[in-house]
Amino acid sequence: MPALTDRAWSPYLAGALLGLLQIPAFLLIGTALGASSSFVTVSATLAAWVDPAIQQIDYAAKHLSGAKNWWQVALVVGIALGAFLSSRLSGARRAGIAPVWERALGTKSPATRFLLAFLGGFLMLAGARIADGCTSGHGLSGMAQLAVGSFVAIAATFAGGIAMAHLLRRV
Amino acid sequence: MSVLSAVLLGLAMGVVFGFLLEKSRVFEPAVILGQLQLRNFLMLKIFLSGVAAGLVVIGALVATGLSGLHPKATLWTADIVGGLILGAGIALAGACPGTTLAQVGVGYKDARFTLAGGLLGALTFTYLEPTLRPVLLEGGAGKLTLDKVLGIPFPWLAFGFAALLVVGLVALERWRPWREEIGANADGLLPPPESTAPAVPTAASGRA
Repeated sequence: MPALTDRAWSPYLAGALLGLLQIPAFLLIGTALGASSSFVTVSATLAAWVDPAIQQIDYAAKHLSGAKNWWQVALVVGIALGAFLSSRLSGARRAGIAPVWERALGTKSPATRFLLAFLGGFLMLAGARIADGCTSGHGLSGMAQLAVGSFVAIAATFAGGIAMAHLLRRV
Repeated sequence: MSVLSAVLLGLAMGVVFGFLLEKSRVFEPAVILGQLQLRNFLMLKIFLSGVAAGLVVIGALVATGLSGLHPKATLWTADIVGGLILGAGIALAGACPGTTLAQVGVGYKDARFTLAGGLLGALTFTYLEPTLRPVLLEGGAGKLTLDKVLGIPFPWLAFGFAALLVVGLVALERWRPWREEIGANADGLLPPPESTAPAVPTAASGRA
């Protein structure tokens, strides 16, 4: 029986429970699980303080207000809280940089890692917004709805990810 | 639903989401990078289990008429180009957009830079969207789903595909038991490849 204080649950159990989160998303919010459009809502909201003209861009305007947009922002904030809670319950706390990066990058330099993380984040969200979804919206949700575009997007995501990962050192 | 109740519901669902991402270990950079280097298959196990469960519940919601589908439009070029860039970003970040927040939550410092880069990436796209729209984001096949392509009712196809995924996952587990992929520190980091293949460098250099 999995306990809240376990460090790891079976990936099949945890994965299946993730899939069940579609029920409240579909029935109460009228949408599927997703994460990446919240980055537009938050960044456009912040940008609107210095550049109110951003609200004239339809795409920004569509993401700035409304229950679904702020539901997703709350969802990703909740992800941080839930992960924090789980790691405190199990004692699997993390700090600094994961040891895998020294192997993958061949250096302990935090500056190198921070720069690559920033670049990775930039590409990740630029790509997700071009494709209109990420591993949650296209992956978990799109594939579970048998959406043709989501199968294409996820195949491309794995192709791009596998190619880039092989440019790094083997972990 | 009011924005406030949507936010409260989002927070509650997010806490469960984040809890499961942490318990499954899929938020660990070594799990994600290990998957993309085809060395650790935990991510695929979690991902396909999530899709399989999603297929079953969404199939049931559609079969009972409780809900319709909310698929994204098919935009061939955007899906391929965006997907490739997204994948490259995931490899460098060792995270995807959702798991970035889980990494921030547990205390990984570099994830804060991933988050900042992600916000800037999303903002950059927002400013470029009017320019990109005619090139990448128009046309396409609309909200196309496989059940319509094949002419099979959604629930049947969803249940059938879920069953296929379960068979695939059983095979995956036999090939790579998940307990052997968690790693000593539950971060998905496996012993270095060198230790499993000793003395290879000399053999390789001898041949060269």
